[in-house]
Amino acid sequence: MTRWGNFTLIIGLLLGIAAGLFYSWVINPVEYIDSAPDSLREDFKSDYITLIASAYAATGDADRARARLAWVQITDLASTLGRLAQNRLSTGRPQAEARAIAQLAAMLGERPSPLLASPTPRGAATATPAPPSPTFTPTTTPSPTPTPTATASAPFSLRTKDEICDPALQETQIQILVLDAAGHGVPGVEALVVWDTGQDIFFTGLKPELGPGFADFEMQEGMTYSLQLIQGDGLVTGITTSSCTDIDGESFAGSWLFTYQQSTAP
Amino acid sequence: MRTSSRLFVGIFIGLLIGLLFGWVIRPVEYIDTAPEALRDDFRSDYVLMVAEAYLVDRDLELARVRLASLGSRPPLNFAIEAIDFGVENGFNQIDLQTLNQLAVDLRSIPPAPEIGLQ
Repeated sequence: MTRWGNFTLIIGLLLGIAAGLFYSWVINPVEYIDSAPDSLREDFKSDYITLIASAYAATGDADRARARLAWVQITDLASTLGRLAQNRLSTGRPQAEARAIAQLAAMLGERPSPLLASPTPRGAATATPAPPSPTFTPTTTPSPTPTPTATASAPFSLRTKDEICDPALQETQIQILVLDAAGHGVPGVEALVVWDTGQDIFFTGLKPELGPGFADFEMQEGMTYSLQLIQGDGLVTGITTSSCTDIDGESFAGSWLFTYQQSTAP
Repeated sequence: MRTSSRLFVGIFIGLLIGLLFGWVIRPVEYIDTAPEALRDDFRSDYVLMVAEAYLVDRDLELARVRLASLGSRPPLNFAIEAIDFGVENGFNQIDLQTLNQLAVDLRSIPPAPEIGLQ
């Protein structure tokens, strides 16, 4: 074969590769019409997780909620749910959504899911796994430790107000701990914090590692806050950072822990 | 071999390499998909989640907004498709009833008037 012949072959090869790539990438690319939730765009994924939480809040089916979350494949679930709840609140979404996310986070914190620890490999969209329906067996198995939920009939009353002088805390906080009548933490309870220039809402249960009834809010030094539990029976006013002293005698700003407990049913 | 033949042989081989690379070795990846691209089982479960939430909050408008993520067709269609899928794939009675309730309530909404028709 002459040099000119080789050159023609190479030219043809390059043209062919270009045409093949153009056809397979542009004209007729592989279509993923059967995608899985883990491939959803971030905003859709947020909606999907919120929907999982809303469905869980409605049904209380923890196993199903875990299975659904496993499909989304979230690496850091606790912080993802916390961020998501705050994001939903700040964007004006219904507060029921944030409450549902808090309940979901609290449930996951109580019983870590083995499904979440070993997500299915990426690429499930092209495989042919069994449909989720077989897992939807009748929910006759009672949950051994049902997550307590707040009831509108019995308000939460402030029981104690404790100063938290912990130098390890990176920020000064208003911490709340909400308990039911039996002393169990209650997730999804809404708290309102008001200060001179604004207000914020936060929910218990978004830090399940600290207990389902726990929530915190970051305070700024020099600012005065008021705190009210939406399902509580009183307003706490005049909250400022506390004055603490460390072991070297140096003062630093401390936090407050407010413990609320539900009255026994009337 | 003639020059034109070599050219066509090269194009043919190159085409095969290009297709192999584009379809198998490194296909286009859709990592930011929308819910409407969900597989049937996930799509049906999505509708079921909407129905479960609706059963408690009774917010039909919110349910419709959530179902709208699945595509531009009427939300009722998605509910009916989910029921069909559920029947074929052995959803339990509670789930089917939940889906059915959503479908019934969606059916009660009058269709939007078509623009341009008197």
